Amino acid sequence: MTAPTRARRTIDVGLFSVFAVFAVVLIALAIIDGTKFFQSSLAGLAIGGIYALVCLGFVVIYRATGLLNFAQVGLVTLGAFVAFNVVSTWGLSWWVAIAVSAVVCAIAGFLFQRFVLQPMTGAPLFSKILATIGIFLFLQALVEWIWGTGAASGQVIENPFMLSTFTFGSTPMLRIDVVSLALAVVLMVAFFVLFEYTRAGLSMRATAIDPEAALAQGMNVNGVVALSWIIAGVTAAVAGTMLGSNASPNVGLNATMIALVALRAFPAMVLGGLDSPLGALVGGVIIGLLESYALAYVPAENLGQFAAVLPYLVMIGVLLVRPFGLFGSSDVRRI
Amino acid sequence: MANATAESAPSPMPAATNDSDNAARKALVRRDARIFTSWWNWLALVIVVAVWFVAPMMVNNEWARVLSFAGIIAVAALGLNLLTGYAGQASLGSAAFMAIGAFIATYMGRAVDDRVPGLGQPFTVYLVVAIIAGGVVGFVVGLPALRLRGNYLVVVTLGLVFITVWVIDLITRKNGVTVSVAQPPNTAEFLGIDWGNAFNFFGMREPAYNGEFRYHGLMYLNWLFVGIVALLVKNVVRSRPGRALQAIRERDVAAEVVGVSLFRYKVGAFVMSSAIGACAGALYGLHVANLKPTQEAAFGNSIGLGMSILVLTVIIVGGIGSVYGTVVGALIIGSLPEVIGLFSDKLPFIAGPGESGLSAAVFTAMLSAVLLVGTLVIEPFGFAGTMRKIKVHYLQRKTAARHDDAELEVTSSSQP
Amino acid sequence: MSLLEVDDVTLRFGGVTALEHVSFSVDEGELFAIIGPNGAGKTSIFNCLNAVYRPTTGGVRLDGVDITRMKPSKTAQLGIARTFQNLALFNNLTVVDNLMLGRHVRMKTGFLSAMLWLGPAHRAEITNRMRCEEIAEFLGLSEYRDLPVGVLPYGIQKKIELGRALAMDPRLLLLDEPVAGMNLEESELLTEAIVRVNAELGVTTVLVEHDMHLVMDIADRVFALDFGVPIAQGTPEEVRNDPKVIEAYLGEMADNG
Repeated sequence: MTAPTRARRTIDVGLFSVFAVFAVVLIALAIIDGTKFFQSSLAGLAIGGIYALVCLGFVVIYRATGLLNFAQVGLVTLGAFVAFNVVSTWGLSWWVAIAVSAVVCAIAGFLFQRFVLQPMTGAPLFSKILATIGIFLFLQALVEWIWGTGAASGQVIENPFMLSTFTFGSTPMLRIDVVSLALAVVLMVAFFVLFEYTRAGLSMRATAIDPEAALAQGMNVNGVVALSWIIAGVTAAVAGTMLGSNASPNVGLNATMIALVALRAFPAMVLGGLDSPLGALVGGVIIGLLESYALAYVPAENLGQFAAVLPYLVMIGVLLVRPFGLFGSSDVRRI
Repeated sequence: MANATAESAPSPMPAATNDSDNAARKALVRRDARIFTSWWNWLALVIVVAVWFVAPMMVNNEWARVLSFAGIIAVAALGLNLLTGYAGQASLGSAAFMAIGAFIATYMGRAVDDRVPGLGQPFTVYLVVAIIAGGVVGFVVGLPALRLRGNYLVVVTLGLVFITVWVIDLITRKNGVTVSVAQPPNTAEFLGIDWGNAFNFFGMREPAYNGEFRYHGLMYLNWLFVGIVALLVKNVVRSRPGRALQAIRERDVAAEVVGVSLFRYKVGAFVMSSAIGACAGALYGLHVANLKPTQEAAFGNSIGLGMSILVLTVIIVGGIGSVYGTVVGALIIGSLPEVIGLFSDKLPFIAGPGESGLSAAVFTAMLSAVLLVGTLVIEPFGFAGTMRKIKVHYLQRKTAARHDDAELEVTSSSQP
Repeated sequence: MSLLEVDDVTLRFGGVTALEHVSFSVDEGELFAIIGPNGAGKTSIFNCLNAVYRPTTGGVRLDGVDITRMKPSKTAQLGIARTFQNLALFNNLTVVDNLMLGRHVRMKTGFLSAMLWLGPAHRAEITNRMRCEEIAEFLGLSEYRDLPVGVLPYGIQKKIELGRALAMDPRLLLLDEPVAGMNLEESELLTEAIVRVNAELGVTTVLVEHDMHLVMDIADRVFALDFGVPIAQGTPEEVRNDPKVIEAYLGEMADNG
């Protein structure tokens, strides 16, 4: 209804200058202490990969249902612990663990969709979001019940990459981190293909835009939604396993910790754009990098848990300035 | 339709000037405008006040603590209900405002001491400051919230919780001190009575000093506040601003068309809700500051996302948009964590502290989750929603019956 | 004396031109009708009149005050009441509450005075509820008063929306197809109500209508448009006989002779 205004352009200019300043700061930091910068960048990419994975799950559900899916966070926790169980208690290989975890989470996702969300068709959006919060809560409690609150803390899922590293120059990067990032990229490409080129993906987009019309067209709306939850479950399992296999100090097999980390994928989602798989990847990586730099360069004594809060600050900034994020499509508001 | 077209100068609608009709209309209107529409409500009120007076005298300290906490949750839930239930603004942020209130209460209320920061202010002072602070923050949050809907508002309020807790942590960590630490404000004087440790049951009993903080006074105080806040909220809800909020919830474009200023009412809802949340937080600061560290259960005794979810669970289960439902919901859900803990030895599948297996805290969390999800699936409008549906169903049958009778009348034209 | 002036309004969305150079004025106390086939842009005009849409060029003035760029709630406060073709009621609220929301602009109770329920707040509730009762009786809605609007039949809902608009004590009443979807009897009753409100209370009324018969019967002046372009303006007689109008309504006119 309104043409691009001067306000919009001022915002764009403002954004650009912020980015410019930021880039300058980063370059300065790199010059000052190259190794530290490189190391924190790599760590940032690693955690960014995990954020991207979780975020992809968010995006899939959002595209199919228009919902924010808090249950995803719970599925990540579940995925981590199931993988842990497979490796530690059953003594199977890490790859098997991922597969088993993926199956378990996919089934869990499907069940929740079928027995909680589907009966709520037609309910207001916030009720459904609350339902996903309830599922999240349930999963966290379930994990704590089965595996105990602190029992697995400090442990890590044994994996073939454990401490082996790639070395860039003189800086080691954990192989596991590289794998996380690689998986995120692969999955993102897979999702992109799915959404744009397959019938299932097309049905998903139709369903999200207008479920009734889609139904009238003979699309299996419930099936499409169920599929999206299954995909989300798989993504969650992979993300959870990566998190659990990561021995860096901020993670570890603690249900609450994992949940807190996974929750930070929401800012990544907002930054990247609620409905964009590319946005999930880019958003996740950016948030990961920012967090990592904050950890490295902002002393904890002065600003406490700044690194943990920074994603949310960024998110609010994005929402004030450009609500649909980097790659999201703008909301159509009908009168 | 109306018959008389005679004068009716003051009342612009061509209406019946029949005196008895007018009186009947007035009686109906008077009834609608009352706070309690039937005498049952008054009876219930009397009973509630009686219970309020008597119950704390009959419970031990453990239960007093539990019910005192439930009261705090009730206050917070009443505030959130105004924002989310009536105005329809999704919010995960109640914990943020409670944290602000709790921080102000403990910081200002603690006795002045070298080791630990405190300003030694009396209850009424820090309560008022907390409420104002909450309102101000609510205003600041409410402004951008004008432009955000649904999903976006949820994540913003989620972020708000984390950010607020972080800021408070920053402020308090200078001396290595956080909110729920010893040296609590032990006294809470309000309306001339000390409801803190020295509470003496309105002069009937000598306060017992045995080293442990006695929660009975707080139990009275918190539920007194529940009553006050419930009254204020109910007054708002049944009059012009309340209707405006509900209109915004139902269809905000239509609300604008009838002249409701979205700015004034959305922001107003945020401000009022956050002020009430901060009030609950102040009471909570008083309550939790007296908890011994070992008594802190994992769920709901520290302020974070979990607290927000707890308060949301209360309004969902109790019923969105119902003052009664909220209070009942708070009583049930709010005491749940503690109740389960108290009964942990009686319930075989629950492991005691230190044992492996299902701990009370985890079981509570699971139970709350099931209650939340269950309510949402079965009846999205909660307990109060079911009641409302029954009432509407009954009213519809009455109207339909009247229609059947009307068919028998010879058509006198106007009345459809 | 002109209450409403529409001055060369053009409305474009992307590539679509909904309205083109629309100009007319409505005098105080008139019953003014806007007619045109489906998609002609009648509702778009209304949306510009109460600032739900902002015209691309041109302006709208109420009693000399430029309202083109105001917020819809401000136009409501200035006395413009409007109904919607597809209804915009508050479905989960009762009939009484919907009517009372019409009184919103005529009341002053804010958060603070409501909380404390001071004397003036209570008296305002009573007085305004009385008005709503009168309106409800006038429109035959009394027996539905406590029911949520969403469960009621379409015809009743249309009356409620009219009632809500009347409750605003409007200076300008905009009715978008107020009798659409009603049967003959209901539609006659409602039309009578509209005419009475206009004649006896002097409320300036602008009507969007499809039904030529209805319009010719009750309107003081008529404005016709087609595809967003004005095609005729004047008394009902003049417009009825205008060749462009006849052409636009070809089928209907042939039937009605």
